Amino acid sequence: MTAQVVLNGFVTGMVVAMPAVALTLIYGILKFPNFAIGAMLTAGAYLALALNVYLSLPVLYAAAIGALLFAGIAVGIDQAVFRQLRERSAITLLVASMGVSFVLENIARFIFGNGARSFELPLARPKVVLGLRINSEQMVTAAAVIVAMTAVYVVLRHTPLGRAMRAVSDNPSLAAARGIDRERIVRWTWVIAGILTAVAGVLAGMDRAIDPLLGWNYIVTVFAASILGGLGNPVGAVVGALTVGIVEESSTLVLPPNYRQVVSFCVIALLLLLRPYGLAGAQRIKR
Amino acid sequence: MIDYLITILTLVGIVAILGLALNLQWGLCGMVNFGMAGFFALGAYTAALIALAGAGTLAATLAAALVCAMACGFVAMISLRLSEEYLAILTLGFGEVIRLFVLNEDWLTQGSLGLPGIPRPFWGWVSEKTYEVWFLGLLITVVLVLFIALEVLLRSPFGRAIRAVREDDIVATTLGKNVVMLRVKAFALGGAIIGVAGAFHAYYLTYIDPSQFSAVITAYVFMAVIAGGRGSNRGLLLGAATIMVFIEGTRFLKDLFNVMDATQLAAIRLILIGLGLILFLIYRPQGFLAEYRLKSSVAVQKSASFLRRARLRTSEPKPH
Repeated sequence: MTAQVVLNGFVTGMVVAMPAVALTLIYGILKFPNFAIGAMLTAGAYLALALNVYLSLPVLYAAAIGALLFAGIAVGIDQAVFRQLRERSAITLLVASMGVSFVLENIARFIFGNGARSFELPLARPKVVLGLRINSEQMVTAAAVIVAMTAVYVVLRHTPLGRAMRAVSDNPSLAAARGIDRERIVRWTWVIAGILTAVAGVLAGMDRAIDPLLGWNYIVTVFAASILGGLGNPVGAVVGALTVGIVEESSTLVLPPNYRQVVSFCVIALLLLLRPYGLAGAQRIKR
Repeated sequence: MIDYLITILTLVGIVAILGLALNLQWGLCGMVNFGMAGFFALGAYTAALIALAGAGTLAATLAAALVCAMACGFVAMISLRLSEEYLAILTLGFGEVIRLFVLNEDWLTQGSLGLPGIPRPFWGWVSEKTYEVWFLGLLITVVLVLFIALEVLLRSPFGRAIRAVREDDIVATTLGKNVVMLRVKAFALGGAIIGVAGAFHAYYLTYIDPSQFSAVITAYVFMAVIAGGRGSNRGLLLGAATIMVFIEGTRFLKDLFNVMDATQLAAIRLILIGLGLILFLIYRPQGFLAEYRLKSSVAVQKSASFLRRARLRTSEPKPH
């Protein structure tokens, strides 16, 4: 029973890891917490749903094409909105991201309505391994997240692009002095963030049903994961996400399952009181 | 038609109170509150429960203000050592916590069924037909009292101090201001005002349920404050009126365009609100009306004329 809960929590944490990494990367480069991350998840899920239902593509292809399309949309949003506000305060960007969130969520609502939708998936019986029930969605999730996280890690650690991203995140003016084009880095960051959130949207939509509030229901959890890892730290965000996933899932043993986000909020509150720079350690903190 | 106008004005009044609160918290003190809808719900439910228990609407309103002030003060305390972004995240999270609590604690709030039959202030003092007008009058009085109180506060030493904290908290600290206490006080005071708005929402509808307190409320209030001009209470009243007239006015569109159903129309309206927020931030960040600033006109004129004379005397080219 306990092992089952930990397993489920681990898989939930894996889904959360994707938007948490996206959030933390955007924070690292643009220095604002993007409140539209939930709506981006929702929009990515609906985009894949549209491809799945209207073009009757299999979910895998729909997710892949949807993620690429959504990467383009994310760059477009940045150019249209956040680029115009580049030199303004983090709070201005935050409020703008709330505006973006409303636009994305309600475009989905306008086209698909309020009702819950789901992908056309073949039904499969859960497998039992060592007494643990693992369903096929969980296996797909694990595979997709491991591939995506490895890819992001390789890009960040071992490519010139990743080096430049880390440089801009650490010290923008020094990076600019070394001739790194910040706008190019910003665009690539949105591409990665777009892909990660869109895939996470599909995974979340496979787990639950797709409705306009799909991403919104993850938002506190995603923020908890990123803060736990120290905002701006991608590896920390993954660890944070897995931790939050397991803590949330374990809490359902004693609390009603609807209170998962409350548990995440308590994690944020406690963490900010005790270790405001995240568990991972040194992060720049103002004030 | 006149009933419809009264309804719109009542809604404007409630959003205006919320806007005044956000203007104090964010506009003057720079502390952003994304949990607006949650604190609003907290105020409404507190007032409703206490009024239903038979304590009278005055006590209920005060209790709502007190509870919301404590909740806001608590959230501000948690994020004291951190930059503003963390407060934003915490308020958002706290708002969600309140929503989930209201939705799930059936024994107290009756969950999604909602609380019916909430008592109204001065009910029975006037005839039922004219009650709505009297209620609107009461609400406008509250808005005006709050407006005047906040304008006085803005020009008081406390108001100047919190604006100093917003502009540069290090300078404020250097000047001997207790930045921590100022922030908590300003945020809690804003919370109290949100509580009052919540109470009036509950009295007006006499029935509240969790669906009334979605994040949409937060967007309306931000839109009102940004459109009106952050920091300007007069602008805010204008902003609140504009936004609510727009929202309520667009309900008629449904009759004009039969192609859209209610959900789609609501979605369009929210898309426009979101776009409006973004466009205002990009193209008119100061809003309709600018913030009140202390200007010493005499000193300005004197220095201007002094400079002019000095320039004439030396007949140097303008130093630009």
